Amino acid sequence: MNEFLLELRGITKRFPGVVANDDIHLRVRRGEIHAVVGENGAGKSTLMKILYGLYQPDEGQILLHGAPTAIPHPRAALGLGIGMVHQHFMLIPRFTVAENVVLGSERAAWGILHPRRAEAEVAALCRRYGLALDPAAEVGGLSVGEQQRVEILKVLYRGAGLLILDEPTAVLAPQEVAELFANLRRLKEQGKTIIFISHKLQEVLEIADQITVLRRGRVVGSVPAAGTTRAGLAEMMVGRPVLLELQRPDTTPGEVRLAAEGLSVAGSRGRPAVRGVSFSVRAGEIYGLAGVEGNGQSELSEALVGLRPITAGRLLIAGRDATGLSPREVRLLGVAHIPEDRHRRGLVLPMEVYENMILGHHFRPVFNRGPLLAAAEARAFAAERVKKYDVRVPSVRTPALALSGGNQQKAVVAREFSFEPRVLVAAQPTRGLDIGATEFVGQELLRAKERGMAVVLVSSDLDEVLALADRVGVMYNGELVAEFRAGEVTLAELGLYMTGARRQAEPGGEPAP
Amino acid sequence: METLASLFSLALLASAVRLTVPVLLAALGAVFSERGGVINIGLEGIMIMGTFFGAVGTYYGGPVVGLLAAVAAGVVFSAVHGLLAITLRVDQIISGVVLNMLAVGLARFLNIMLFGVATQSPGIRGFTPLSIPVLRDIPALKPIAAGISPLIPLALALVVAGHWVLVRTTFGLRLRAVGENPLAADTVGVNVFLMRYLGVLISGALAGMAGAYLSIEQGRGYLEGMTQGRGFIALAAMIFGNWWPVGALGASALFGYFDALSLRVVALNVPYQFLNVLPHIVTILVLAGFVRRARPPAADGIPYAKEEQG
Amino acid sequence: MKPAAGRRLKPGLRPGLSPRWRLWLLQVLAPLLAILFGALVASVIILFIGKDPLAVYGLMLRFSLTRPDSIASILFKATPLIFAGLAVAMSFRAALWNIGVEGQYYVGALCAALVAFGVKGLPVVVHLPLTLLAAVAGGMAWALLPIVLKLRRGAHEVITTIMMNHIAAAVLLYLLADVLRDPAQAGTPRVRTPVFEPTALVPSLRPLLDAVGFRIPGYSSLNWLLPAGLLLAGLLYLFLTRTRFGYEVRAVALNPDAAEAAGIRIARVQFLMFLLSGGIAGLVGLNDVLGFFGYLDIDFPKGLGFLGISVALLAKNNPLGVILAALLIGFLDRGAQGVQVFAGVPREVITILQAVIILAIVVAYELLTRYVRVLRKREAERAAPPAAPSGTLAAAAPGGPGPGGGG
Repeated sequence: MNEFLLELRGITKRFPGVVANDDIHLRVRRGEIHAVVGENGAGKSTLMKILYGLYQPDEGQILLHGAPTAIPHPRAALGLGIGMVHQHFMLIPRFTVAENVVLGSERAAWGILHPRRAEAEVAALCRRYGLALDPAAEVGGLSVGEQQRVEILKVLYRGAGLLILDEPTAVLAPQEVAELFANLRRLKEQGKTIIFISHKLQEVLEIADQITVLRRGRVVGSVPAAGTTRAGLAEMMVGRPVLLELQRPDTTPGEVRLAAEGLSVAGSRGRPAVRGVSFSVRAGEIYGLAGVEGNGQSELSEALVGLRPITAGRLLIAGRDATGLSPREVRLLGVAHIPEDRHRRGLVLPMEVYENMILGHHFRPVFNRGPLLAAAEARAFAAERVKKYDVRVPSVRTPALALSGGNQQKAVVAREFSFEPRVLVAAQPTRGLDIGATEFVGQELLRAKERGMAVVLVSSDLDEVLALADRVGVMYNGELVAEFRAGEVTLAELGLYMTGARRQAEPGGEPAP
Repeated sequence: METLASLFSLALLASAVRLTVPVLLAALGAVFSERGGVINIGLEGIMIMGTFFGAVGTYYGGPVVGLLAAVAAGVVFSAVHGLLAITLRVDQIISGVVLNMLAVGLARFLNIMLFGVATQSPGIRGFTPLSIPVLRDIPALKPIAAGISPLIPLALALVVAGHWVLVRTTFGLRLRAVGENPLAADTVGVNVFLMRYLGVLISGALAGMAGAYLSIEQGRGYLEGMTQGRGFIALAAMIFGNWWPVGALGASALFGYFDALSLRVVALNVPYQFLNVLPHIVTILVLAGFVRRARPPAADGIPYAKEEQG
Repeated sequence: MKPAAGRRLKPGLRPGLSPRWRLWLLQVLAPLLAILFGALVASVIILFIGKDPLAVYGLMLRFSLTRPDSIASILFKATPLIFAGLAVAMSFRAALWNIGVEGQYYVGALCAALVAFGVKGLPVVVHLPLTLLAAVAGGMAWALLPIVLKLRRGAHEVITTIMMNHIAAAVLLYLLADVLRDPAQAGTPRVRTPVFEPTALVPSLRPLLDAVGFRIPGYSSLNWLLPAGLLLAGLLYLFLTRTRFGYEVRAVALNPDAAEAAGIRIARVQFLMFLLSGGIAGLVGLNDVLGFFGYLDIDFPKGLGFLGISVALLAKNNPLGVILAALLIGFLDRGAQGVQVFAGVPREVITILQAVIILAIVVAYELLTRYVRVLRKREAERAAPPAAPSGTLAAAAPGGPGPGGGG
C-alpha cells in the first residue's frame, strides 16, 4: 500500500489567454483531510475539475494508489473512487432523496427501478455514515445542510474513497458547518480521504490535517495544519501581508432614510417569504441583514426596491410611503440596487457596456432627446464611470458578457453609485469576486456610508457583515429574529440566531441612536 | 331536448374516442420530448409527414407497412429537430416552426412525385376493424364496441406503457432528470444528449403514428392540411395534462369530444365554420385557464451546452 | 466554463483582419453560405428527378433577373412579405412568438374590405387612409387576445396564435360565404365581396416608374404599398436602434429580469410590441386586395404570414434585412414559376430549397453568435489582463472572501 492515495505531478492546464494551473504538485495521504486553499481565481476549481475528469490536463501526471491514471470523464472518476460534492448542488428538487442518490448508478435489472429497494439502500447508507435524512423526502423541501448531505450520499453510494468538497461551507450557517465537520470526521474515521476546498482560513485550520495553498495557478506551499497560523496562511494566499481589519470610518448617522414597518412579502411559490419584518436604516449607516440563504433576505431586498409585491406592512423611503411603488418609482426616490445575481438582475449581458451603464437611469432627462435616446451622452457618461471605478474594458461599446466577473460587478457598482442615491440596497455584493474586487466593493460601501448614504447590506458571508455593518439584523424563516449593534455580537452568537436556536423578544423595534 | 341528447349520444362518444387518438398519440410524444427538456413545436410537421407516409406505405404495402413508414418518417423528421435543437442549440421554437414549414413543402413535392398531384393521395384501405367480443352484442354499446380501429387500443396501451416507462424505469428517471437539471444528470454520468435525443425521437415516432392514424384510419388517404393544427392542440393537451401521459389522455379526450361535437351537432343553429374551430377555441380556453397551475420540467426548452468555454 | 486563474499567455496579435472587420465579413457570409447550402440540397433533389441542377439554377437566374416582368413580379411579391416579415420581426424582437400573422392579416384584409366597399362617397385622401387604418385595427384586434392571455394567464402565444389562425380562416369563410357575399355573384361559384370603391384602392406605381423611365409590363400591379413598406422598414429600424422605447425593447428581450430591475415595465413593452406586430400584420393582405383584385375573394393569397416567419428569420429580425429577405423570397417564388414552366421542375422543389435555406441560416446565425461571443471575450481579455478571470458560470459562486474578514 502506498502512503499517498493521490499524487499530482506537474499538472498544467491552459485556457486561451491564461494558465489556470501551472506545474501543480500535490500529495494526498490516505485517510487525511487535505485542504486546498486559495482566493477565487487561484485555480482550485480547475484543478478539481481535472481530478473529476471534467478537464484534461495539458501536462503532468495523476497518480492514484501510486499508479499513473487517466481520468477522461466524470464517470471514470467515479469508477476510480473519486467523488465530487459540488459547490452548487447538483440536485433535482422534484426528485426524492433516494432518486437523487441513485440517479445514473441505478442498481436495476433490465432497467426496471424498484423505488422501495432504493430507499432501503439509501437509508442503510445514512445509518452507516450517521447522516440524518429521509430517503423518501422530496429534495426541494430540504434545508441547505440536508441537501449537502444528499450530495455527500450520492458520492458514498458510488463507493468513493476520495471525496472532493468544493467550498462546502459557503452556504451554511455556523451550526451547520459544525455538523458538516462532525460528519467529515466520521467519514475520515471510516477510512475515507477528503479534499476540502475553501478560502475560509479559520475553517480550514479547524478541519484539515494538511493544507496546500494555491496562488495564481501555482502551488505556493503545503503545510500541516498543526502549527500554522491564519495570518501566515493568508499571506501565502495573496502573496502579501493582509490587513485583517478594514478601516471602518466612524460616522454619525443622520435621519431615517429607509424604514420597514411589519413588512410581509410573498415568496415564489405563493407562501410568504418574509413575515412582519421591521427595521430602519439612517443616513450614513450600513445595516447588515444576515442569515442562512433562503430565509427571506433575497425576497426582502427585492421588496425594498419594488421588485416584489409587499403583502402587508409599510415601507418608508426618505419619509415617503413607498409601499407598492414600481421599481422605477422607487429608483426615482433615490434608491440604488446592487442585485444578488448580477447576471440575472444586474446586466443585460449581450448589450454594450454603455447601454448597461445607463440601465435604470435611461429614463432620466439627460439621456433623452424627445423619444430618442441620447447615445453620445450615454457613452460619455459610461466612459466617465468606467474610468472612475476602474472597470477594465476595451471600450464602452464592448458587450458586457465579454467582461470578467469582477469587472461586471464593478460596472454594476459604478452604475448604481451614479446620480447620488440616498439609499443603497446591496445584495450579496461580493459574491464570486476575488480578493481585489471584494476589497474594492467593501471600500465603496464604506465610502458611500461616509458620503451619507443609507446602506442595506444583505450577505450570507458573516465575516463581511461583521466587518462592514454598523448594525446587524438576523433573518430566520422569514422573520427578523435579532438585531445587534456592531461589536456587540460574535460569530457564534449570530449562528444561534441564524439557525433559529434563539431569538430576541422584539428585534428591530427601535431605530438606531 | 333532442339537441341535448345528441350531445351525449353513444355515436358521438364513439366518434369522440376516434378523434381522441391522433391528439393523444401526439400529446404522448410531446410528453416524452418535453420531459427530456426539448420543446417540440415541430410536432405538427411530424404529423404531416406521418399522414403522408402512412398513406404511401398503405398504398404500396398495406396498413402495417403504412404505420411503420409513418413511424419511421416521424423518427427521421424529429431527428432533424434533435440535430438543430440539441446538438446545434438553435432556438427550439424556431427549429420547430421551420420544420413545420419544411414538412408542408416536402409532402407536396413527394406527393407530386408519387401521385402526380400536390394535395392528395389515392384512396387506401385501413386496418381490419376490431370488435370487442361480448360488448358488441349489446345493442346499446355497439357503436363503441364494434368496428373500432386496432390503433385505438394500441394508443391506450401506449399511455399505460408510457407512464410506466417514465416512472418505473432507469430510462424514465434519467429522461426526467435531464429535463429538470441536465447539469446534475451529467455530473452523475447520465448522457444528457442521448437522453434528449431519445425523448425527441420517441415523440417523432408517436407523432408519426398519430399522422398515420389520421390518413390510414380516419381519412382513408392523405389530404393536404388534414392535421388541422392537431400537433399544436396536442401540445396544449400535454400542458393541460401536466406533462404526464395519463393527464394527456384526459386532455386529449376533451379535445376529441369537442372535435366530434363539431362534426356531429348539425342540429344546433350555428354556422358549421364555427363548429369546425371548436377544438381550437377549447385549446385557447384551456391554455388560458389552466396553464398557471401546471409545472413544466425545470429545464424545458433550455439547450444544454456541455462546456461553456471562453 | 472559464479558466479559474493564471497568468496571461502571449498577447497573441493575430495576423489578418481586425475583429470588427472579421465580424462584418461573417455577417455577410453567413446568409450566402446558407443559400449555397440550400442550393446544394435542392441540387440533390433536382438530380433525383433527372434534371441538371446547374441548368435549372441558370434558368432560374435568367428568368427572374433579366426580364422586366419578372422584376416587377418579384417586387410585387416582395411587398406583402416586407410587411409580413416586419410584423413577425417586431414580435420576435420583443421575445414573443407571433405565429399568428397569418390570421391577423386575414382579419386585417377583411376589415379593410368592409371599409373599402361599405363606405361610399369619401374623397381618396380620406377613404384610403381609413381603409388602411381599418386593416391595422383588424390585425391588432386579432393579436389582442393572444397577448392578453400570455401576459395575464401565461398561455403560450405560439399555440394560441396558431389557434387564432384557424379561427380567422373560419370567420373569413363564414363572413364571405354567408354574410358579405356579393349578391351580384349569386349564381356563380365566385365567393367574394362586392367590388371596392375606387377611392379605397392603392394607386399604381406606374406613373412614377414611367416618369423615371422604368417600364413595367401593363398587367403589373406594382403599387404604392412597396415604397410604404420600405419606408416603414426604415422607420422601424430607427425606432428600434435610436429611441428609448427601442432600447427598452432590447433590454426586455435579452434579459427581462434585468429590465424589470431597471424599472422597465416588461408587460407594457411586450403588449405594445405585440400590438405593433399585429397592426403591421393587418397590412399584409392589402397589396393583393387593394392593389390588385379590388375585392376580397375567398381565394385571395394565403400563407404570407408563414412566409413572414421565414423572412424575419433570414433577416435576423433586422427591419432593413427584412427588405432583402423579402426580395430573396420573392425571387425564389418567381424562379419557381420559371423552372416549373420552362424546365418541368415542380415548384415545390423551390419551396423545399427555401425551407432548407431557412434551416441553414438559423444554424449559421447561432454558430456565428457563439463565435462572436468568444471573439469579444478575447478582445476584452487583451484590454484587461485577467487579474481576476472569474468564469461567467462560476461567477454566481456564493461566499466571496470577506474584506479581510473581521471577527
